[in-house]
Amino acid sequence: MNKANGSEASCVNWSELLARVDNDRELLCDLLSIFKREFPEHLQALRNAVACNDSALAARVSHTLKGMLANMAVTKAADYASRLERLARAGEIASLGGAFDAFEKEVQGLLPEMESYTAEARP
Amino acid sequence: MKILIADDDALSRRLLEKTLERAAYAVTTVADGRRAVEVLSKPDAPRLALLDWMMPELDGPEVCREIRKHREQGYVYMILLTSRESKEDIVAGLESGADDYLVKPFDADELKARLRTGERILHLEDRLVEAREQMRFKATHDPLTFLWNRGVIMDLMGRELTRSQREHGCTAVILGDLDHFKNVNDTHGHLVGDQVLREVARRLLQSVRSYDFVGRYGGEEFLTLLNNCPPVSALVRAEEIRKAICTRPVQTDAGPLGITMSLGVLLSCDWGHRPADELLREVDAALYAAKTAGRNCVMQAKPEEPRERVPTPQPAGEHFR
Repeated sequence: MNKANGSEASCVNWSELLARVDNDRELLCDLLSIFKREFPEHLQALRNAVACNDSALAARVSHTLKGMLANMAVTKAADYASRLERLARAGEIASLGGAFDAFEKEVQGLLPEMESYTAEARP
Repeated sequence: MKILIADDDALSRRLLEKTLERAAYAVTTVADGRRAVEVLSKPDAPRLALLDWMMPELDGPEVCREIRKHREQGYVYMILLTSRESKEDIVAGLESGADDYLVKPFDADELKARLRTGERILHLEDRLVEAREQMRFKATHDPLTFLWNRGVIMDLMGRELTRSQREHGCTAVILGDLDHFKNVNDTHGHLVGDQVLREVARRLLQSVRSYDFVGRYGGEEFLTLLNNCPPVSALVRAEEIRKAICTRPVQTDAGPLGITMSLGVLLSCDWGHRPADELLREVDAALYAAKTAGRNCVMQAKPEEPRERVPTPQPAGEHFR
């Protein structure tokens, strides 16, 4: 079964996302396109912030990522981003690296899953 | 209804925009707090705003504080969108001037319900403003003629005289009184008298510029102030007012009635720094002189000179029945 069709390993809760856009597939494709454009940039910014121990920047970027992921019904990854934000705000630099690794692992399959959905949705 | 969405996240912006367009809102979107303040400060700006908490330039609470500073603007109902859920954050957001908050990711139905609450508040504000404006109008206008009432026209006279002196200009003060108005009331009744007063008020307003002032000074007495008026044209204008009253009969329930007005006119530049009440006495004396001179004419008040009758091109005293 394809991830996009709702397998257990799916990152995106597609039914929740479809409900959020009121089953408007065109809007969903818009959102996917914005996400695919912006997510890698934010991910890279977070990676750099963690590598440089810049907790303020890490807190800001992980907050943005948390919002984006929650909007796209990527619930588990949004929780990881939320944890990263909390750690960064608390200045727990030592824990940031591990938390970022866990986050990155969680979102590894996200963009391919979205690509696959977009391909299937295309007429 | 217009609504502003301020969110630096393009994804969230698009989702909100589409959701609200579907709900028939006219949506404007911006990506930072500074632009949000700019849009909300424009005339005819949206009065509903959804503001993301964390934004570049100014964050959501800062936008709320900025907008609340300008109390002269109409009320803007602002909802903060936040993924910050601690009580301290919520309190801080509401203290900044936000009316409500919504936790992201938002539920479309909840968002729309909260916006409807905002619309109810704005509607209530509109009704209060309307009631206040009605009260203000009633407090400043004569209820029969809708001209400025005596208190306001006297204040305006004081203000205009001060301004003329400061700018070395000239204000014409014209006091007009309807001739034999008591006869109209006695013969045709007060309702017909009221119709005459209303029509006279209308003709007076038609005879002056939009920035001149006309007030009901007493029963059938009217005070007109012509601002920045050169002396020569002031006398011409007073004569035009006289003609505007007498040339056509006033249509009333008792039929057409010929109405005339006697006028006293005074040019502030002739009188130097005199208080308003003293000038009013002088213009009243000129009006009295116009009555004595046969009515339906204009007399000018001049300091320490006999009063001059303003040349009237047509014979005075025309009456229509």
